[in-house]
Amino acid sequence: MNKNMTDTGVVLTDIRKSFGNLEVIHSIDLKIAEGSFVVFVGPSGCGKSTLLRMIAGLEEVTDGEIEIKGRDVTDLDPSDRGIAMVFQSYALYPHMSVRDNLAFGLKMAHTPTAEIDARVAAASSILKIDHLLDRRPGQLSGGQRQRVAIGRAIVRKPDVFLFDEPLSNLDAELRVSMRIEIARLHRELGNTMIYVTHDQTEAMTLADMIVVLRDGRVEQTGSPRDVYEDPANAFVAGFIGSPRMNLLNAEWAGDGYVLTGGQRIASALSASLLKPGERATFGIRPEHLSVSMTATAESLRAKVDFYEYLGGTQFLYCQLDDGQAVVAEHRSPIAIKDNEVVQLTCDPGNRRFFDSSGLRLR
Amino acid sequence: MTTAKVSPSKQRRARKAFRANGAYHAAGIAICLFFLAPFVITFLASFRHGTEARLPPLPPWPTNGLSIDSYLSLDTFGAGIWQHTINSLLVSLATVVLTVAVSLLAGYGFSRYRFPLKNVLFVLIIATLMIPFQSILTPLFIILAKLGLNNSLLGLTLVYVTLQLPFSVFMMRNAFDAVPKEIEEAARIDGARDLRLLVRVLLPLVLPGIATVAIFAFLNAWNEFLAALILLSSNEKYTLPVLMMAVRAGRLGAVNWGAVQAGVAVMTVPCLIVFLLLQRYYMRGLMAGAVK
Repeated sequence: MNKNMTDTGVVLTDIRKSFGNLEVIHSIDLKIAEGSFVVFVGPSGCGKSTLLRMIAGLEEVTDGEIEIKGRDVTDLDPSDRGIAMVFQSYALYPHMSVRDNLAFGLKMAHTPTAEIDARVAAASSILKIDHLLDRRPGQLSGGQRQRVAIGRAIVRKPDVFLFDEPLSNLDAELRVSMRIEIARLHRELGNTMIYVTHDQTEAMTLADMIVVLRDGRVEQTGSPRDVYEDPANAFVAGFIGSPRMNLLNAEWAGDGYVLTGGQRIASALSASLLKPGERATFGIRPEHLSVSMTATAESLRAKVDFYEYLGGTQFLYCQLDDGQAVVAEHRSPIAIKDNEVVQLTCDPGNRRFFDSSGLRLR
Repeated sequence: MTTAKVSPSKQRRARKAFRANGAYHAAGIAICLFFLAPFVITFLASFRHGTEARLPPLPPWPTNGLSIDSYLSLDTFGAGIWQHTINSLLVSLATVVLTVAVSLLAGYGFSRYRFPLKNVLFVLIIATLMIPFQSILTPLFIILAKLGLNNSLLGLTLVYVTLQLPFSVFMMRNAFDAVPKEIEEAARIDGARDLRLLVRVLLPLVLPGIATVAIFAFLNAWNEFLAALILLSSNEKYTLPVLMMAVRAGRLGAVNWGAVQAGVAVMTVPCLIVFLLLQRYYMRGLMAGAVK
């Protein structure tokens, strides 16, 4: 595809957004490489949609600069930014046929008719909606409408695609197939794509780079693997992954051990990081806990409150001796029942520690 | 195959459905007749001969053959029926055009823009609905006189537009509120701005609202009597309701009922036409398929 001289697709510099006196986006700096697939993820109200809408030009930027392909677009009209957006609610024009929906943007830009026809034909064949061109949006199913919405973005030949939770209106099965379709589209077109979602499966599967946001701040950026395996803080650790990472209250014993759930757990932390008796958080993912019936030196004793059986695996929702809740994944063919007492052990390499403010201790 | 054997339960269900449908349609037809009867009686009566027109309307149809006497005699009132019909049409159509234009823009503004005192202004506009317009006729008359617009159809149109606007702005704001913001945003990304955005994208979506506003503006302007009577003073400017008053008042105590019936017929037809033209927009749910 057309690789530009600059390899930065989108650059955000010190972006801020206030509604009245309330600042909702606090100084975000972000460099997005040309051709990459970036996912903004975070809990609702974290500002991910606002940030996307600022890049689209639908929301004014209070302070800072937005650059797309080396061009300052901060104060440009949405149609002049070289972007196209796919909305959660599709936002098709209900009074126009699918063909007119696709062609509308080009007509507004006074593109020659032959060119419009060619681009509409190309986009509709990519998305397999050729046979729907003469229908109205009201006559389409949800998945077809979403394809038309994506098609409307494709015909504009934008530098950057923006997706605002495009799959959340679809049912589970369709969501999976559209997700794969979007991934395929990214490979075919090679454009920069920015995608907002609160669904972490979408985030993990689609992204080259995940941007985790909370309260209008970037908590961590990195590849899905980085964010999952090497979380920068307790928030990211708890947010990415399903079921979430167990975050247990712990206390630094001072001699290379933390105390949690009535057990001493060894850590590779250097002793100078914390003072003995200081509060810390011990994080361990459910799949890194191995379940056995026999106690060992570092095993946590836990009572199973209830379990979820998912076929290949079983999630145990347990309670430690000191009352803290912990989830463990159990893959053995031996079924474990409610109210059984189990011993949970974990590999030292999978243990994560966070200080009392949530920052990762390394 | 299907006709060979019909099970008894199927027959029973078919009979039951037939009875239910029959009752449903009979009730519907009865209600239709009830509503249509006055129109039919008036139309038929307007085609009676001059003397017959004065008799009680039983049977309601002309017994001595059709005649357009009533219409001819209606034409002898005032400045002729054509002149008054044209006056009424001019005023009503101008009222529709101005009301739709202003309320479309005002409704869009109130629905989409954020500006100080927006809700106060909106409530203020709606609040004027509470003022009976008869009570402000005197000041209106004085204002129009000062503007040199008394005894003019333009002046009357402006008064009608003013009276029609609060309801229309309210309607149009609701119509715009019902259009999802995303559609407008998608259009902005597609490069439609300002007037083009309004005309190409939003106008078709608020058409039901516009139809409603247009129907109400037309009917109210067409049927309005008091303001027309007071603000118009010369004979050839009168609108149809004022003419009808003159017809109904009769000459030397004798009311020409044939002319009254003919006048009612003349006044009803345009209203029917307007409603039938616009009702499909009035009813249609245009938003289907836009979002979700």
